[in-house]
Amino acid sequence: MAEAQSIDEHAAVREREGWVTGRLVLFCLASAIITVVAGLIQVSFGEYSMTFVETWEAVFNPAVIFSLDAWSAFLFGTELPNMTTGSVVVWDLRLPRVFVGIIAGATLAVSGAIFQAVTRNELASPFILGVSSGAGFAVLATLVVFSGLSHLLPLVAALGGTVAFVVVYVIAWKGGTSPVRLVLAGVIVNMVFQSLQQGLFFFADDLGVVQTAIAWLTGSLTGTGWGEVRIAIVPAIVAIGIALAGSRQLNVLMLGETTARSLGMQVERVRFFLSAVAILAASVAIAVAGIVSFFGLVVPHIVRNTLGGDYRRLMVGCLFAGPALMVTADVGARLALSGTQIPVGIVTGLIGGPYFLYLMRKQHSMGEL
Amino acid sequence: MAHQYHSATEEQERGQEQGQKHGNGDGHETEAGQITDSNGVTVESALVGDGLELSYPTSEETIVDCARLDIPEAAVTALVGPNGSGKSTLLKSLSNHLDPDAGTVRIHGEDLDSFSQKELARELSVLSQENDSLGSITVEDLVYHGRYPHRGFFDSVSEEDHRAVERAIELAGIEHICDTELGQLSGGQKQLAWIAMVLAQDTDVLLLDEPTTFLDIHHQFRVLETIRQLNEQKGVTVAVILHDISQAARFADYLVAIRDGELYDWGPPEEVVTEQLLADVFGVEATVEYEPELQVLPKQALPNSRL
Repeated sequence: MAEAQSIDEHAAVREREGWVTGRLVLFCLASAIITVVAGLIQVSFGEYSMTFVETWEAVFNPAVIFSLDAWSAFLFGTELPNMTTGSVVVWDLRLPRVFVGIIAGATLAVSGAIFQAVTRNELASPFILGVSSGAGFAVLATLVVFSGLSHLLPLVAALGGTVAFVVVYVIAWKGGTSPVRLVLAGVIVNMVFQSLQQGLFFFADDLGVVQTAIAWLTGSLTGTGWGEVRIAIVPAIVAIGIALAGSRQLNVLMLGETTARSLGMQVERVRFFLSAVAILAASVAIAVAGIVSFFGLVVPHIVRNTLGGDYRRLMVGCLFAGPALMVTADVGARLALSGTQIPVGIVTGLIGGPYFLYLMRKQHSMGEL
Repeated sequence: MAHQYHSATEEQERGQEQGQKHGNGDGHETEAGQITDSNGVTVESALVGDGLELSYPTSEETIVDCARLDIPEAAVTALVGPNGSGKSTLLKSLSNHLDPDAGTVRIHGEDLDSFSQKELARELSVLSQENDSLGSITVEDLVYHGRYPHRGFFDSVSEEDHRAVERAIELAGIEHICDTELGQLSGGQKQLAWIAMVLAQDTDVLLLDEPTTFLDIHHQFRVLETIRQLNEQKGVTVAVILHDISQAARFADYLVAIRDGELYDWGPPEEVVTEQLLADVFGVEATVEYEPELQVLPKQALPNSRL
């Protein structure tokens, strides 16, 4: 009797924790290792030449890791305490770029995963609902017309993305929305904003402005520092936290609108709220890294192919795979061509595009989730 | 007519609309109120549609105009009618998926609008006709989604959820495919999985829109037997749209025949199913045999039918 009960209890526990599979753990572990290795490679190279051993000693330098003053300098912008030159180079110049990559990768992947569930379309990405073009337009307008505001660029980008998303929602709304209407409205808004962007380029008279603008529009981690980490870290944690908690809602949403409603979900409210979270996540990434193309589209795909469609697993997987891929891509962007850096968005586009093509050829049906 | 309406003092006390004329298909006029069966025994209704006028937001046309519809408590009611007669539309309004232009739906005497979406999902479950096929979810995970209305945003799976899911899976008889992904199942197995999901919702009222259409005969019976068991063991009120009038006649306790968005007739199958009904509602010439059991034998389509 007692034995039967213990078996029952065991089954119940298995049921409850059933979504954490060995495969998921392995996937996250592998992603974490890739992130760390790519990060170490990233900080080992640069103008100030250091050997691998020197840099790694600097990275794991206990005098920095356990120094409250140092962390307060990193996270709150206070005075940097005295450190060795190696530590300063690694911790103040090179590592923040890795952290920004981690944050941008995680938020973009999570944001893409949410949008794919909300629109029930695996071709959806943070940018299909107008966020990218809206943010891009706002950035360009700031650089070209309102150049006085350029120190607020991240904020402006996020604002532009949000406004574009609201416009998309308003267009798509007709006594409720539907995935198809949302995507179509997104395409329309994207087109209009892109035309406006191209129009603005004609008013740019300074080559430097054009280059800054292009770096933003293609997505780049060049020159990011602790300032960017400070901007991004809090909203990123909030967005990711809500996204993880909402993964069960997303699973139910994936059953279809009618079923979700029958099960007692207020579909419109949940859809809008989760979209807003996804916008927040995407805005975080846009604010610090610009518009990294293909990323929010491809990463959830890779994770889905490996771990399946359950959003509880998918979200966690995205959280680990996003940083791994972003940091790796940024290593390529920074170190592939000696002497010059290319925007990371170009690398992700060049890798992501063909990968997507490969998926399309391999799978029979695509688009519908 | 198989049924009679007569005004009930109870209804008057509740201040319900009285004296409303019913325009049924055959011109039967009664007053709104409680319903009685042929023996004059009052039948409690779990779900009542009162003066319903239904249309879709995309068109002006009124699709359903139904003075009164009763789904009796703890019985299986089958809604029958030809394609496009408004059965599904009616079911949508009964499950609050479609707001009526006029009229109200009450569940156990309370207006549907007085429930929040989640509260309602604990009282009434509904399985729609087309379920978007989701390939990569296991049957068990799907059934667990049936517990959604019982769980808060941050709640984890409780022991009660676990038991409800187990019961639902057992009742639907799909223990052996628990861990199989939905994409690998046949249409019939899929339907049983979806039914298990609504069973896990653990409601007193269950609405099903054509659960047997497109299934092979074996799975048709499996579905109907599951519904019957649920009704007999737990006294669940079931309203089910069935495509096949002969199946409905054999299976249901009550039939509701709908034509052109209006209630044509209502009552136990033996009284509702007549050759006249088959001609009027379905536009077929058929013989109906009452002995040894009710049987419908369709012969041919009536050429002058307006269907």
